[in-house]
Order: sequence, then C-alpha cells, then structure tokens
Amino acid sequence: MRVIVIGLGEVGQNIARTLSAERHDVTIVDRDEARVAALEGELDALVLAGNGASPKFLREIEAGEADLLCAVTQSDEVNVIAALAARQLGAKQTVARVRDDDYFGGEESFSRDMLGIDFVIHPERATAEDLAEAVMLPGAVHVEHFAEGRLSVAETVLTDRSPLIGRPLRERTMVRPHSVVGIIREGRTLAAEPGQRPKKGDHLLIAAAREDIGAVVAYAAGQAIEVHNVVVFGAGRIGLPLARRLEATGGFTVTVIENDAARARQVAELLRSTTVLHEDGMGKDALLAHGVDSADAFIACAGDDRSNLLTSLHAKQIGAAFCLAVVSREDFVPLVDALGIDAAFSPRLVTAETILQSVRGENVEAMHLLLGGGEVLEVQADAGCRADGRSVEQVDSLTWAHVAGIVRNGKVLMPEAHERIEAGDRVVLFSPRRGVAEVGRTFNAA
Amino acid sequence: MNRTRRRYGPSLNWQLIIPVSAGVLVASGLGLAACFAVAVIGDDGGEAAFGITAAAALPVGGLGLLSARRLRSMPLIIRDGFAAVTAAWLTAAIVGAVPFLIAGTFDRPVEAFFESMSGFTTTGATLIDDVDAEPDAVLLWRSLLQWLGGVGIVVLVVAIAPATGLASQRVFYAETSGITADRLTPRIADTAKIIWGIYLTLTALALMSYWVAGMSAWDAVNHSLTTLATGGFSTHTASLAAFDSLAIELVAIVFMAAGGVNFAFYWRAVRGGSLWPEAAEIRLYFLILVASIAAVTASLVLADDVSGVWNSLRASAFTVTSLITTTGFTTDDYDLWGDYARWHLLVLMFIGGCAGSTAGGMKVTRIMLLGKAAAQEIARQLRPKAVQVLRTRGRVYGEDVRLGVLGFFYIYMTVAIAGTFAMTAAGLDFDSALSSVAATLNVVGPGLGAVGGIENYAAVPEGGLLVLSALMLIGRLEVFTVLVLLTRVFWRPRGA
Repeated sequence: MRVIVIGLGEVGQNIARTLSAERHDVTIVDRDEARVAALEGELDALVLAGNGASPKFLREIEAGEADLLCAVTQSDEVNVIAALAARQLGAKQTVARVRDDDYFGGEESFSRDMLGIDFVIHPERATAEDLAEAVMLPGAVHVEHFAEGRLSVAETVLTDRSPLIGRPLRERTMVRPHSVVGIIREGRTLAAEPGQRPKKGDHLLIAAAREDIGAVVAYAAGQAIEVHNVVVFGAGRIGLPLARRLEATGGFTVTVIENDAARARQVAELLRSTTVLHEDGMGKDALLAHGVDSADAFIACAGDDRSNLLTSLHAKQIGAAFCLAVVSREDFVPLVDALGIDAAFSPRLVTAETILQSVRGENVEAMHLLLGGGEVLEVQADAGCRADGRSVEQVDSLTWAHVAGIVRNGKVLMPEAHERIEAGDRVVLFSPRRGVAEVGRTFNAA
Repeated sequence: MNRTRRRYGPSLNWQLIIPVSAGVLVASGLGLAACFAVAVIGDDGGEAAFGITAAAALPVGGLGLLSARRLRSMPLIIRDGFAAVTAAWLTAAIVGAVPFLIAGTFDRPVEAFFESMSGFTTTGATLIDDVDAEPDAVLLWRSLLQWLGGVGIVVLVVAIAPATGLASQRVFYAETSGITADRLTPRIADTAKIIWGIYLTLTALALMSYWVAGMSAWDAVNHSLTTLATGGFSTHTASLAAFDSLAIELVAIVFMAAGGVNFAFYWRAVRGGSLWPEAAEIRLYFLILVASIAAVTASLVLADDVSGVWNSLRASAFTVTSLITTTGFTTDDYDLWGDYARWHLLVLMFIGGCAGSTAGGMKVTRIMLLGKAAAQEIARQLRPKAVQVLRTRGRVYGEDVRLGVLGFFYIYMTVAIAGTFAMTAAGLDFDSALSSVAATLNVVGPGLGAVGGIENYAAVPEGGLLVLSALMLIGRLEVFTVLVLLTRVFWRPRGA
C-alpha cells in the first residue's frame, strides 16, 4: 500500500513507524526542513520537505497514486486542504485530523458528504469519550464497544478483593457469558491462557455482551467504585468535551480545574452544572482545598504530560480513589504504572486507530489500540473467505490472534474453540502484539 | 519652534442633536395634526391649539431633517447618542406641552410640561382634575403622547428616517431599555421597524378587543394607545372604573401584560427562532405577576378591604397587573387597602416589566440577575477560586453585565432616595413623597396618599413637579442616558 503522511509531529511519526513496520510504502512530508533532516535516517520511509497542502507539491510526489493520505499537521486548515487536494488528484482514501470542534463539531457529516474526506479524526474528542466511558463503567479503565455497541471489551483493574487473584483463569466461576482475552501486566500485554493466575494490579481484558459487561467487570474487579464525584484537571480540548459528556449523562458532580483564567471563564460559560475553578499552581494544598481527596475519580487531561502525571500522583497520594491521566508522549507511558495511576489515555492512539483501520482493509469495522501494545479489532467475515466455515481455534492460528467474541445476526456469542465462523459474522479479535497483518487475507473473500 | 494649536470641537454634537430632535418634531407634528383633525370634526375646542402647534412643528422639523444627510459620513462618539436622545426627549416634552397651554388646559408652563413629560414617558401621572370635561383633541393628544413614547420616540425616528447608519445605532442604544440591547436584524433601522410593527399590531388587537368588550370606538382608540404603551392615561377621571365592566378589565389585563413582555420575544415567536434567550425573564415576570395577585388577594380577603373573595381577586388582578407593568390604570382606590397590599404594590412598581418592553421599573431581567449575583456572591465566600458565570438557560452574560446590573441597582436606589428627600422637602408627607418618586421614576403614574390612585398630582408644588418630571425622564431612559450628562467628561470639548 502506498501511504502519504503529511505532518511530522508525534502522531505523524508514530503512524509512519507503524505502517512501515507493517511493510507499507510510506512517504512522509513536513514543511520544517530541519525536522525533515533530523528524521531522514530514523525512519524506513521517504521523508520530504514541502507544503502538504499545495496541489502542485502533491502532484510532484504523485499523491494521486496513493492508497491512503493522512493529513496530521498541527493545523486543521492545512489538514483539510491537503485531504481535499489529494482527493481531487485521485488518492483512494483520505484522512484528516481536525481538532477544532468549530469545523466538524457534533453530528455534522459535513466532511464526508460535502467534502469527500473519508475520515475526519477528532483525537481529543474521542479521548474525552474514552475517559467518560471509563468513568461510567465502575471497575474498568477502558471500554470499547464493537458491532454497533452489542459487544464490549473492557480493561479491568484487579483490586485485592478480586476473586480471580491467585487462581488459574479456567477455575473462575462467573455465570454470565464472557471471555477473558488478555492480561496487561506491568505495562505489557499478554494473551490470556487458561492456566494463568492473575495478580493484584493486573489489568484484565474481558469481552462480554454490552448488557453483561457491567456485571462481569464488577465481579472481576472485586471492588468497583461507583463514580459520582469527578474532578477534571485541565479544561482544554479534552477536558471540555469530557465535562460536557458527563453533564449530558447526568448523575455526576463535576469539578473542572483550569490554570488559565481566560480559558476558565470561557469554559465556565459553556458548561452548565459543572463547577469551574481557576487555580494557578496545582500543589497538594490546592488539590486538598478543592476536595480532590474525596473525589471518586480524578482525571488529568491538561495539555502537558508532565503536569498530568505529577498532579495525578498528588491526587492519588491524598486519596482520590481512581486516577486517569492523559499522556501524549509514548516514552511517558511506562511511568503511568510505576506512579500508581490507574490508567493512561493517549489522543495519539486514537489517530493511529483510525488510520490503521483504513490500512487493514474494508472488512475492518473498528479498531482499538492498547497503550501497552496489542490491539482489538472487529472484522466482518466475507462469504467464501478463508475463515468461513473454520473453527475459532483454526482462525486463531491463521491470524496469530484470538477470537474474543462473535456477533451473529445481532446476537452475541462467546466462542468455544470448536465454534465455526459463518459468512457475515462480526468477529472481534485480540492480538497481544501490534499488527494483525493476516486479518485481511483471512476474512476477505479471494 | 513652530507650535500649532490644536482645535477642539464643541462638547455637544449639534449635527446629531438637530436631526434627531427634528425627527421627533415631525413625529409629534403628525400626532398634533391628527388631534387638529379631531378638534375640527368634534368642534369642542382645541382647533387653534393643535393647528398652531402642528403648523409650527412640521415645517421646523422638516427643515431640521434636511441636515440628516450629512450624518452618514460624520464621526460619532458614544456621548453623542446620549446627548441626542436626551435632547430629543426634552424637545418632545416641550412641544407636547404647548397645546395644553394654548387650549387652556393649564395656565402654568410647569404644569403643562409635567403633563407632557408624564405622557411621553408613559407615566400617566396627571394634573387634570376633571378629565371627562377636556376637549376630545386634548384627550387624544394625551393618548398619542403615551403611544409615541411607548417603545420609544427615537426608535420611531430611526425606523422611519432615511437610514443614517452609525447615527441610528448610537441613538437606538441610548434609548432602548434592558441590559444588552437586542439587535434583531443586521441593520438597526430594520430592528426599529420590526419593534414598531409589533407595537402597531398589538395596539390594533387591543383596539378591537376593547371595542368588542363594549367600549365606544373613541374610548377604545384612546385606551388601546395607552394600554400597549403601558402609559395609563384614560379619557375618564375615574380611569377604567368608569366602565365597571369585567370584560374591559380582562382586555386591559391581557394587553397591559403583553406590553410588559420583551418585544424581541414576539419577534422570535413569529420568526420561529429559539425562544430561550428571553424565556427565563418572561417566566419570572409571569411568576411574579401570578404570585403577587395571589398574595394581594389573600391580604385583601384577610383584612376584609374589599368585600368578598371574587371582588378581591378581581381588584387585585387588575391593580397588580396595572402597577407591575407600570401602566397605572385604576379600578379601585388601592390606597384604602391594608399596609401589606400597599407595600407589595410599591415594590412591584420598582420591579416593572421585562427589558425591551414598554414597561418601566428596574426590569425583571435585572431583578433576576441581581438575585443570581447575590447567590453567587454568597457561594463565592466558600469557593473563592470558582469561576462564576451569570447565565440563564438561553443566554450567558459577561462580567460587565454583573457590574452593570449592580451599578444600576445602586444608582437607581440612590436616585429614589434622593428624590424622596426632595419631595419631603417640597412638603409632601412620607407616604406621598416616597410613592410619588416610585410612581414617576418607574413611570407608573398613580402612587399612594396625596398622589394615590383616585387622586392626581395637583397637590404637588411646582418645584416638586419639576423634580418628578426629571425622575420620569431618568426612569424612562434607564438612568444612565440622563445621568452621564452630569459628568465632567461629557462636557469636555471634542478631541480633548
């Protein structure tokens, strides 16, 4: 596949690295010549200096021949123009990252219907959505829904009261149908084997029908905190949509803390029932003064990774029950576990999810990347594909992945090893590693 | 060294004051001409009074309007709008007073000026002992004064004058009531046209309703003009008590209440836009109205001021609506009611109707925001770092509005207290002094005691009448437009 990436930021580099590791031809473009020079030798990709929004330049690099163009520069406008121009030149698929809600806010389908951009990614808004889901499902730090929300995969943190601890997984006694598909231990993702014994602090990946997931997670976690009182640190591109979402859901007492006075006022005007506080320094005293010690959930989503990690650490120490932090930089992710923060979220992953989904082929309906490596994705089985008629066990070995669940005619099945895949099934797969390259060949017909 | 002396302009911008006042003259002149026609047809006096005044006002106004052409390219500063509007209102009040003098309604100019100002500001306080005995032309003139002043005579000028861009905008904002003047359309002249269109429509509806309810056509015309203006002048000394008709009272209640609603709300309702921006204020307005009717009715029944529950309800519903909308029609002598009812009515005068309506008072929006600001100030003691936002469901107010509302309340109360000092000094007893100030500053009309519902202002000495006239203008133009004239900055030469 020929892929062009516009923008050599954190996200662009990450995409380029992932795609070139999956053996795609990647051309990556940035206006900043110094940055281009610095990265030229680092990536197995063609790194070029130039204006990605210029049709002339795009023609020069034959953007019209590309299978996919990802526009992920800092500027929304450049991204949209680049995607449009590439589309005009004949690129097969285009993806633009847009961070400002003013352009494609809410439910507007402006992008696809009027402009013809295939995907518009809102990384911050999607991250806010992920955070809200984690707050709303007690015991879980991530929840991802597949097959029109019928099947859910949740990442559950095992507390010391969890009944699963210390015993082999096969001996668990949960009645509702579910499957334990993976374990994240010390930041590393592993496949779940029947003989494995979970430890306290492990994150378990559990799949179940959406109506069962709450009960399953609560059982596995052992002690699920019902979240009512939420403190959000940072009212930026993530904090604001998060607070809005929690307001819209209802049942939460939300406090937002922001260190910029003008932004605090702007956000206070946009929110209704949320308390917005303006606080310059976020030391322990300030956190105590704002009642973070009695918060059920503390969510650090300011623009700066360091202050997110630091304030989360403070919050955890003074007694916040559940701490989530947004961490954009990859090299900070291992710190999250070490600091005792319950989970980290990254807008970068959201962008990569969308782009990888379109690289993997038409059958991939949804995709979720795990921060510690590994991914969960949903595919549809074509009639006559290699998976059609084969058992779950056989599909596992064909794809080097694990079938976590099947949705057949709208009904959720928790797969037994001998269950056979039928054409039209929605299959949710889990892989402990990045890159399920065999998926397309297994589920696409011919 | 070559020194050049800077040239300063005069502090007042006559190039704006003259055309705006001229527009007011023309509008008044048309009204005067209508009264002249009535005088000629009715033949019961006033032909000379209205003929002469109209003949003077129309050509002078027309000439003055010629200078409006130059406004288009003229630089205007904020104070020009304040100066022009205040000047226009003074012009209107003086022109309005002339026919009263010529027709012999009053002998003294101060009395005529008071009556005219009371008309234009839609106050409805009168000095005429026997209203029924006045010629028809004079009665119609009183009604027209109120109607012209209702949504604002300068707004009318903006609506009908050839568009003058920035000039229209400056004077429009200086006259309209409320916290944030609502611009309904991109061009201010169109907004003014819409407001007058709504006003005309409601007046026509009131006219038909009064007529159907049993008024004579003549009474219906006069009362519809003064009802929508929330003015309160009547063609009868006894005000609406002269009709003693439940149907007429109900029509009056409905249209007085309608005059007290923000006109922007009607526009949005007709256009089908979001009604939320005004919803909170209108809901509170009707809540206060209904709760006050209930409370006053209860007090009347308990104190047995009015015989029977039904009569209490009828009297209370009419009086409460008349006073909160600052209209000032009366059916009962509420001065005879108990102290609770009288105090409640006095407080209602200060609250008034909605912003952007024809009613006076402090306006329900301000009361609402004062309440919210007070609650937030108390909450702030516990959470000093919380960012507080003044808001209603459909609208967010900036911090300047918080300061503006608090400042307005403070200044309004100061003016009321100072006015009461002045009126007691003029020799009125406390009830009469306080209520005369409440009734004029809030442009209601009738007060308590010597200036009560069935009395008139004849008991007030001349000096007092001038104070009250000033209060009417201050109240109608919502304090700031007039009070900026008292600042040093206002009189500083231009460019200094």
